[in-house]
Amino acid sequence: MIKYLALEIRRSLRDRRYLLLVAGWPVAAYLLFSTVFGAAADRSEGLPPTVAIMVAMASFGAMGGVLMASGPRLAMDRQMGWLRQLRLTPLSPARILAARLVAAMALSLPAIVLTFVTAALVKGVSLPIWEWPMLVLLIAAGCLPFAAIGIVVGTIADGDGAQGLTMVLYLVLAALGGLWMPVQILPSPLQTVARTLPSYHLAQLGWHIARGVAPALGDGLVLLAWFAGAALLAVAVSRRLTLRTA
Amino acid sequence: MTYHPPATGAHIPSLVPPDDIAECAVRVDAVTRRFGPVLAVDNLSLTVEPGQTLALLGPNGAGKTTTISMLLGLSAPDAGSIEVFGAAAGSPAARAGVGAMLQDGGMMPGVLVGELLAMVRTLYAAPLAHDEVVEVAQLRGLEKRRVDRLSGGQSQRLRLAVALIGDPRLLILDEPTAAMDVETRRGFWHAMEGFTARGRTILFSTHYLEEADVAADRVVMMARGRVVADGTPQAIKDSVGLRVIRFSTIHAGITGLDALPGAVSATQHGNRVELRCNDSDSALRALIATRPDAHDIEVAGIALEDAFITITDGIAA
Repeated sequence: MIKYLALEIRRSLRDRRYLLLVAGWPVAAYLLFSTVFGAAADRSEGLPPTVAIMVAMASFGAMGGVLMASGPRLAMDRQMGWLRQLRLTPLSPARILAARLVAAMALSLPAIVLTFVTAALVKGVSLPIWEWPMLVLLIAAGCLPFAAIGIVVGTIADGDGAQGLTMVLYLVLAALGGLWMPVQILPSPLQTVARTLPSYHLAQLGWHIARGVAPALGDGLVLLAWFAGAALLAVAVSRRLTLRTA
Repeated sequence: MTYHPPATGAHIPSLVPPDDIAECAVRVDAVTRRFGPVLAVDNLSLTVEPGQTLALLGPNGAGKTTTISMLLGLSAPDAGSIEVFGAAAGSPAARAGVGAMLQDGGMMPGVLVGELLAMVRTLYAAPLAHDEVVEVAQLRGLEKRRVDRLSGGQSQRLRLAVALIGDPRLLILDEPTAAMDVETRRGFWHAMEGFTARGRTILFSTHYLEEADVAADRVVMMARGRVVADGTPQAIKDSVGLRVIRFSTIHAGITGLDALPGAVSATQHGNRVELRCNDSDSALRALIATRPDAHDIEVAGIALEDAFITITDGIAA
């Protein structure tokens, strides 16, 4: 299973278009936003804009890396017949799913690390040394719900459909979750929606750490609830699909 | 025409003493599988002994792929049970001992041939040596190639390698040679001989009676989800007849024609007679000797599909 997991990660890292999208995009967006808004006063997060935007863009990139590594790839593997072939091996379906979840989670890292390095080198962001690894770990771990959401997408949609659906989810979660702009500028009904989204709570986790305070339990709980919901849904849809196509 | 099933006992290996049942490589017991209104597999029972090379023969829609899919646990029967080496089909124990080449079996996109084989190898308890499999599947030199950049024939060889690498006791192949040219096909069956020489069991499906004849020591013929013939390739060929002699005659009656050497059966449509043969050369010589009135003679191969239909009609009648 470890070998399968490693190979899942390796093939993602080999995919240049994927890497450019999930790591290049947040880095470019970080440079743009932090340059445009960098001179502004501290934002509502209580952080300098270069730091607040760094955390937001790292979360944005991490979420994208995980969503794309789980959903569209699963859809493709299903369509190509690889999943069918893999099911013939002694690897159990639960392990296949677990390996895919972990592999997708691991692909949150390139975007996080690249965004942080860019922020530190180009924008001179400096944080207490312990905050960096904490940020990397928490943002990566906070992507768990997105891995499960991806599994749902990859199970219900095929190839291009999964790609499109993932992109829509990605952009909606990012925009409404306050990763591009503070949720305070949204109309208030949308703000209510925003505060239920996993992307919103993912960013909150990071901002807490960057402010040097302990992350709020509530954010973690909401993320866990999203994971549990998506995981249950994934199990339900995959059951239904197996019955239908068997 | 009438069809006589092969004589019971002699070459029907499915009739085994009860105490040998645990030893069976495959045991299909009264399995039925429906797709909506279509009865894909109809009350199928089949036993395969270890060491056998069995060809599952039949036209499209005969239920071959459905049967294989159930043998692998990829789909569940509506009724009946399937065991592989005594374990339920698709169970972890069964999966550990079975390798398979599927018609629609894709390989992990974006990885290298060598990487994929190395990964799959780690999933089995006692796999074959990596190099041995690369050699047998003729993948030497392709190990650094990306899986999704292989040609059709190369992909098929990779499928074989993936099926073989766990050193399965039972190899299941769904139309393995469908996309192969004659040369590749020969190489493929040569590799399979090496595999069975080690006491392994093979079950493969095919459209081609010729292929079953060359590669299998038992042929199970399916049509409309049922077994319509089961025996050695020779027995099947004898009962089906591989060629047909057609001729016109001025004398009525076809009595005695099916008793000519090499002939299997005779039918008449107007003044045209159709003589189905398993040895058309002998039959033709005998025909000319006994029926000098025969004219406009033609000899042709018969489509296997026709034979299946004839056989099933014969069984249903």
